[in-house]
Amino acid sequence: MTAPALTFDMADLGPHLAALSDTDLDSLDFGVIGFDNATAVCRYNQFESNAAGLSPQRVLAQPLFTNVAPCMNNFMVAQRFDDAEEQGTTLDVIIDYVLTLRMRPIKVALRLIAVPGAAVRYVLVQRQK
Amino acid sequence: MSNDLDPERAGIAAEHEALMQFMYLSPVGLVQADMTGNIAMINPISAQLLMPLAPQACLNNLFDVLADVAPELRHMCTSFAADSGMICEGRQIVLHQGSHARIQRGTPEVLSISLLKLDAARLMAVISDVTEQVRRERQLKQADAWLNAILTNITDYAVVSLDRDGHVSAWNDTIGRVTRFGAEVVGQPYSVFFPEGGTTDARQVDCLREALANGWNLEEGPRLRADGSQFWGSAMISPLPDNGALHEGETDSTYCMILRDISDKHAEGATAHSATFSDALTGVSNRRAFFDAASKELGRRRQSPRATSLVVFDADHLKDINQRLGAAAGDQVLRQLAARLRATFRDVDVVARMGGNQFAVLLPSTDLAGALIVAERVRAQIAAQAAAPDGSDIPFTVSAGVAEMDDDANELTALMARADQAMRRAKQQGRNQVANWTPADHFQMPDLLAPL
Repeated sequence: MTAPALTFDMADLGPHLAALSDTDLDSLDFGVIGFDNATAVCRYNQFESNAAGLSPQRVLAQPLFTNVAPCMNNFMVAQRFDDAEEQGTTLDVIIDYVLTLRMRPIKVALRLIAVPGAAVRYVLVQRQK
Repeated sequence: MSNDLDPERAGIAAEHEALMQFMYLSPVGLVQADMTGNIAMINPISAQLLMPLAPQACLNNLFDVLADVAPELRHMCTSFAADSGMICEGRQIVLHQGSHARIQRGTPEVLSISLLKLDAARLMAVISDVTEQVRRERQLKQADAWLNAILTNITDYAVVSLDRDGHVSAWNDTIGRVTRFGAEVVGQPYSVFFPEGGTTDARQVDCLREALANGWNLEEGPRLRADGSQFWGSAMISPLPDNGALHEGETDSTYCMILRDISDKHAEGATAHSATFSDALTGVSNRRAFFDAASKELGRRRQSPRATSLVVFDADHLKDINQRLGAAAGDQVLRQLAARLRATFRDVDVVARMGGNQFAVLLPSTDLAGALIVAERVRAQIAAQAAAPDGSDIPFTVSAGVAEMDDDANELTALMARADQAMRRAKQQGRNQVANWTPADHFQMPDLLAPL
């Protein structure tokens, strides 16, 4: 069985990601960071690991916004997850952003996904062409 | 993976990864750029701090990202002559007004930036959020100023008693020695010691009210002698203990004002002060000084409501001037505009360079009509100069937007957005004009509420 062809911008991606095994997650051609209610990283795929230059064991179980991706700890990203959680609303937006992968400024699109009741929230990363 | 094959290389790879993570997690922003600001390397905290300022979500150039809040940085770097060395250390960049609560996570109000020139091609920047630190320093500074006023060597001082309305209630020798005024000052408001435009009636009342509320009020600034000459004065006003009912013939003295001539001391501190609080290119206040002064004025306005207006000036076609005549000509235009603003507005008005081409003037105790008159005067004078340029002057025109504070715009951010909307309408209507804000501007230009 191969993974269904998930794309960065397909509709209703959250449940599809949740259903995917870690191996299938690794086969995607965009970065996937999943984090739990306490913002600890619980899913981290191969694409993201390669891009950042960090192996999953350095990242998993670490708090996302302080120990893994402090660059997202502002009102553009982290605050949106906070707000969605507080208001019990669904978050699914794509924003233009710059990540500092291996200390180089890289233009990316970020997709922020949080569904009320879901155990895992996601930040997806796609490099801008 | 090669990890299994070569332990030495695997060790180096692991070290490299640890080092990378060390850089990722460093709690200050680090940026390496070339001398024109193009970013070569940048760590995550830098992105966290700079992304909210970045136009079109782009972090390619450090100076572009900071152009609206610290336009002087590019100039400071290009004019730094030494081969290497510290260009600036801990320079504070004010992003938002101070009175706002920090409602949003990771939204700093003040950044600190240090720039180190490594060589002709490389620049290192260290950026951090110093919002809390600045807040604490401000409190300490107040206490410092108070102690200074008491403890500094005093060569001479005037002791002036004021009645409840701030009028001089009695004359004595000390007033004569410091200010050369005679007994004719009795009965006059203490603004008699200020040069024209140095204060307003409302400001005088503010100081008295602050003295009552806090036990003291301290202000420094230009003061006037009877012969018209000026000195740099430090004035502390404190309420006098209530002595009960007045006896016949006694004057009512509610406050004591100690006025000192500290011109010498001021000259010593002026250089350091101007490096921190003025714009390097034009010499007018920078954003930091503007937000400091503005939030003070707005605090007073909340205590006792009064008209407060803001004018935003923007030099017309500055891009063209830069392209046609070079960047030095553009700088010259900004200096001319700043000089005109300084010459036209009162001392009590706050004139500041807010961004690349943009200047703002906060006018305490001034309504929309009053602000429009002065803004129009500036516009007309500059246009007249452009029509008949003399010698080294570069002809240009200016557009301005004027707004007055009201219940719907009672925060600085809202007032600035309004003045900005009006200014943009002046541009749209053909430039070289002054527009005042109307509610229609808000609906026509909703995108202008973007951060300043």
